[in-house]
Amino acid sequence: MDWTQETAGGRVVGRPMGRVDESTWELFSQHLIAAVRDARSASVPLVVDLAGLDYMSSRGLRALTMAKREAGDTVAITLAAPNDRMREILAISRYDKLFEIADSAGPD
Amino acid sequence: MLVRFWGTRGSLPVAQKADAIQGKIARALLAASGREFADEAEAAAFASQTLPFSTYGAYGGATSCVEIEGADDAFFVCDMGSGFREFGIDAFRRIAGGHARTYHIFLSHLHWDHIMGMPFFGPAFDPGATVVIHSGHADAEQALRRQQEEISFPVPFDWLQAKFQFVTHEMGVPAEIAGVTVTLIRQHHSHDSYGYHFARGGKSVIYSTDSEHKLENMDSEAAFEAFFRGADLVICDTMYSLGDSVSLKQDWGHSSNIVAVDLCRAAGARRLALFHHEPTYSDEDIERMFEETKRYEELLREDRAPLEVICAYDGLEVAI
Ligand SMILES: [Zn+2]
Ligand SMILES: [Zn+2]
Repeated sequence: MDWTQETAGGRVVGRPMGRVDESTWELFSQHLIAAVRDARSASVPLVVDLAGLDYMSSRGLRALTMAKREAGDTVAITLAAPNDRMREILAISRYDKLFEIADSAGPD
Repeated sequence: MLVRFWGTRGSLPVAQKADAIQGKIARALLAASGREFADEAEAAAFASQTLPFSTYGAYGGATSCVEIEGADDAFFVCDMGSGFREFGIDAFRRIAGGHARTYHIFLSHLHWDHIMGMPFFGPAFDPGATVVIHSGHADAEQALRRQQEEISFPVPFDWLQAKFQFVTHEMGVPAEIAGVTVTLIRQHHSHDSYGYHFARGGKSVIYSTDSEHKLENMDSEAAFEAFFRGADLVICDTMYSLGDSVSLKQDWGHSSNIVAVDLCRAAGARRLALFHHEPTYSDEDIERMFEETKRYEELLREDRAPLEVICAYDGLEVAI
C-alpha cells in the first residue's frame, strides 16, 4: 500500500494505492488519520480517492471508521472512484450506508 | 468428527409465521408453473433441485446448540439454547441404541439464549445420566440454578436426577476430555464469553459465538487468528453486517460476516460456518447474507486457498 496526498481545490485528497489488508492496514490508518487532521487544520473536506486501490479487507474498512470518528463533525469524508471490486465490498459491508461515495475524485 | 447444529439463531428463538410460509409456497408455485408432477415425490425432487434453500428449506429458529460427535462414550454439546431440548429427545433415541449416558456441555457464556434449553432437557431427569458442565465462567452453576428458581420455572434445579458436575477451565490450558483436546479463549462480550477449540486425530473444530471484534483493538485479533489456525471448521458469530457492528450495534457484543472471513483467511482455516443469525432476519435475509459472504471471500481470495463458507441452519450436519 502506498499513499500520496495533496491539498488543492479546497480539499485534501488522499490516494491509497495497492491493497489494504492485515499487513498494510496500520499504515493506511496512520495516513488516513493524518489526512483527517490536515483537512481539519485547513478547514476543508477530505476525499479518499480509491481509484488506485485494488481492494481493502475489513481491516481497511474499520480504519475508515476510525478516521470518521477522528473527523467527528469537523471534517466531511467522501470515498471516491472505487473500482468494481471495492464497490461490491462497500455494499456487502454496508459501508455504502456509512460513507458518502462519489463516482470520481474530481471537483464537481 | 461430525458437527450437528440443533440451534443456530441468535438472541431469541423465532418461529415462522403464515406470511413467511405463504411466500415460500407462492414462489414454489411460480417456479413450477406449467409443469406436471406424477406424485409428491416427483414434486419434492423438482423442488429440492430447483428452489433456493430459503424457499424449499428454512434456517430454523432455535437458539445456540451445536453437537460435536466423535468423543469417547460421551455426548459433546456447545451451549444449551432452545435447540438443546430437541438434542435431549434425540439423545434418548441414541441411548436406546446403546450410547453412553454421559454429557459434556461447553458453555460459551451464560446469557439466556445460551442456557434457556436446560429446563427442558429430558436427560436431566435420568438418574443414570452424568452431565458435566464445562465453562470459563466460575458462576455457571449459579446461572443455571437461578433460571430454575420458582419465580422463573416450576421445577427447581435440585429436583433434577442426573449427576451434575461443574468444571471451570483456565484460558489457553488444553484439557483432555473423553479423547478430545479442548482449549478455551476469552472473547469480548458482556460478562465475557469463551470460544472453544476441539481437536482430535489431527482435525479441529472451533466454536466462537457471541464475540465482538472491536475496531479499537484489532491488534488483539492475532490471538484469534492463532486460535483458529488451520481449523477444519470455524463456527463464528456473524450476526451483523460490518457497517452495523461499528455503528448502531457497536458494543452489542457481536461480530460480522466479513470480519469472520478475514480471521479465517488469516488463520488458514478450511471452512467457516455462519452462525448466531439475527432473529429479525427472514430466510431470504439470511440467504442474502450467505451469498454476500461467499462473494466477499471470492473478491479477496487472490492466489490463496479458498475458504469454504457455509451457513448453519437447524438440522445441518457437517462431517469433519
Ligand atoms: Zn447469544
Ligand atoms: Zn450473549
